[in-house]
Amino acid sequence: MLTALNKDLKPFEELITSFSKGELKPHVEEHDRFPFGTLDVNLIEDAFRKIFDLGFLGIMLPEKFSGIGQGISAMCMMLGHVAEVDASYSLIILTSSLSQQIILNAGAEEIAEKIYPSANGAREYLIAFPSFTDPGQATILPQASSGRNSYTITGKLDYLVLGNFSNWAVLPARTAGSKGYSFFLVNLNDQGVTKSDPIFSLGLHACPIVDIALDNVSAQIIGEEGQGQKYFEMTSRIMHVTTAAINAGIMRGSLKEAIEYTKEREQGGKAVINWSEVRMLLANMAIKSKAAELCVTQTCKAIDENLKDWGWISIASTLHVHDLACDVVTDGVQLLGGYGYMKDYGQEKRYRDARQVQALLGSVPLKKLALINEHVA
Amino acid sequence: MLKRSEVKSLISRFPRFEDNTLSMYYGPRMPKAMIKETEEVVALARKFKEEVVRPLYLDLDRKTHEDLDYIPEEVVKKANELGLYTMWIPKMFGGKGYNMPSLSFFNEEVGSVCLGFANLIGVHYLGMAAVMMLGNTRIMKKILGDVVAGEKTGNPCLISYAITEPTAGTDVEEVDLEARGRLVCHARKVDGGYILNGSKVFISNGHLSTWHTVYAYGDLKRGADTKVALMVRTGMKGFSFGRHENKMGQRACPASVLIFEDCFVPDELVVLNPDLLKSFTKQSPRDINMRHIDYVFSLSRAGVGSFGIGAARGAFEIALKYANETEIDGKPMVDYEWVQCRLAEMYANVRLGRLAYMESNLANQHRGAYNLLQMKPIYYYSKYLPEMYFKMFVTPLLNSRMANWLMSKWYLDWQKPEDQNLTTGLASMAKFSCTDFGVRNCQMALELMGRAGLRHDSGAEKVLRDAKLLQIYEGTNQLNRINLFKSLISPQASPRAAFFEE
Repeated sequence: MLTALNKDLKPFEELITSFSKGELKPHVEEHDRFPFGTLDVNLIEDAFRKIFDLGFLGIMLPEKFSGIGQGISAMCMMLGHVAEVDASYSLIILTSSLSQQIILNAGAEEIAEKIYPSANGAREYLIAFPSFTDPGQATILPQASSGRNSYTITGKLDYLVLGNFSNWAVLPARTAGSKGYSFFLVNLNDQGVTKSDPIFSLGLHACPIVDIALDNVSAQIIGEEGQGQKYFEMTSRIMHVTTAAINAGIMRGSLKEAIEYTKEREQGGKAVINWSEVRMLLANMAIKSKAAELCVTQTCKAIDENLKDWGWISIASTLHVHDLACDVVTDGVQLLGGYGYMKDYGQEKRYRDARQVQALLGSVPLKKLALINEHVA
Repeated sequence: MLKRSEVKSLISRFPRFEDNTLSMYYGPRMPKAMIKETEEVVALARKFKEEVVRPLYLDLDRKTHEDLDYIPEEVVKKANELGLYTMWIPKMFGGKGYNMPSLSFFNEEVGSVCLGFANLIGVHYLGMAAVMMLGNTRIMKKILGDVVAGEKTGNPCLISYAITEPTAGTDVEEVDLEARGRLVCHARKVDGGYILNGSKVFISNGHLSTWHTVYAYGDLKRGADTKVALMVRTGMKGFSFGRHENKMGQRACPASVLIFEDCFVPDELVVLNPDLLKSFTKQSPRDINMRHIDYVFSLSRAGVGSFGIGAARGAFEIALKYANETEIDGKPMVDYEWVQCRLAEMYANVRLGRLAYMESNLANQHRGAYNLLQMKPIYYYSKYLPEMYFKMFVTPLLNSRMANWLMSKWYLDWQKPEDQNLTTGLASMAKFSCTDFGVRNCQMALELMGRAGLRHDSGAEKVLRDAKLLQIYEGTNQLNRINLFKSLISPQASPRAAFFEE
């Protein structure tokens, strides 16, 4: 739907769909076994070599940092198409974009300059980020102390996405001098960084997540001290809709598989799709899926056109899409009956992934409260 | 005021008052000792879940992800040692004879920690119910006797219920669909027995069971009228296991493929076929087939309802614990009204669902399959008579033709259609409502917990994965809604409705 509104995206769309089908689709079931099975972080690097070479990882990064300099629509289009095949890879792309946006919103051009143009491969380019955390809501954050020219960080940080893959991470930490938290760039290969085993989570398995502990790890501040909340809000305000785009992609995949299966499978002597209650369930899925696409498209448009309330529209439509997605993926399993519950089909993975996506950038109730707080303020 | 006859006429209109308020009518008729007995079951379930299930369940689930071939034999051995596989076997068959409705509470308790564990035990009783509802006392005695012996020797003997076929799931649960479905399990009559060919899929506990209650068809094109129910023993020639499925959840309980290749099943293991039916009923094989299916599912769907409430409760308890231990902006989470309201709703879902499965149990106790054992004199005789008495007088009778005839008559011929409708309808209601509550509470818990709920070690994500299967097995929630309409609404209030869109 996004490409219908923005014809410039068509070539990107073709590239990204052929990448998803060619490189990701054959491995979905096996990669979903991570942290068990045969997938390891080197394979993730292989999968990303091509997408990195194509330059897609810098889709929203300005051209001066060797990015493509596209806007939110291109990002959503890409994440949606990848999610239709395997949303784990959408999370990887999203995470690196969240780091990018924090750096850009903080005006830390020297950091962008240091990392992106010279990055040699995905490990250097994709920067780890705690994508499921709104640091402002976290009770405990690592503590940063300032030395003469730099900072050192000590403490624990849970659920760092790509923490055992990337060379770099953007992390929130508190400093003694400021009320608010700050963001720092940390080298994850530093001796003082201890990483847990990959965490076994509900969904999005192919994107590794770890807990880390930092012990006097030197860090570079991103932007100004105490301004973390501001940079995070600037980032999340625009990036919420990208999580909606991932769930809209998952919904598309779920509906497609449900239709294909119910056409093939028979019950009571006729194709399952020809029973009226099945049609009704499919209709409900289609309505929700289309409404979700519309939410994403219109939100992108509002952002691109800098509409007055676009921040509010972005989070409201995103929360709505997540609600719809959790319903759709549940019915998506249901329509395949027992087979929907088995890992041989994609539906059970979507059932898990959609909920994992829902928790991005903070828990649902707190996102809701943040939304209304902003509106009535 | 009103004449009694007028009252009677008014309360028997749709919705018939007695059928809609079973707890008021049937609660007081319950033998008092049943309540004490049920308390004992709940206490035992709580001890079992804290001492055995909780320390193990997350590691076990992880293990099944690491090793896709893993089957939890040692857990079944442990449950067998604790006597859990004979608790609900009637005393006349050598079991401990706990009342069947109490199994629901056991399911809920254990299911509130791990539905996989709850299935390892509960599904065995589904197998037992299927054997018993076929009314063949000689075979009941043999199979249940093996279970009791297995407890003594330490070699668990479980029973599975094998009806789902690769191309027919919903179809085998409703005769009108079975008549048109693509069936594959064929039973060919030969001298002295049947030759069985075909396969069954998604059979819970398949790999772990010794006996399998298998439905096959004399004529695959006329399945509903030619059903043959047979007992197949693991190890019989021509019978093998295929793979066990890689499921999203409930992974402690394997779902197996059963394969039959010219498997000979002797006559003494044939529980029911259209010829045997003639010995005790004039009703058509199709009607008796549906009645049997309805009776088994009236029990098992109430059971799945209790699993659903186990899930709803598990999700609630995990969310409550999280809310108790977490702060938001320096204030305990449980101090926020929005948190209290959500936890209240989850708690209400648990209790509302429990009422639904208890109502279904009451229907089974007074109008359905449990009615014989729950009549006060029979209940008290079997509870307090010494085991010796059963061994000397009752057990030998079970092999007699008379006992066989009486049980078959009782279960399959004499039950009234309106009782069949009530029990199957309420079981369907409990099944889809409770399992929907289960999934809903899991969703609420995950939303409340955010990223903390996504981690395997939180337990929250596991309940969500486990709960989804409940909406599918024992009849999809869609089939159960249709069954409710067909049996509770249509007979009185929509008599012209047709079913299954012919």
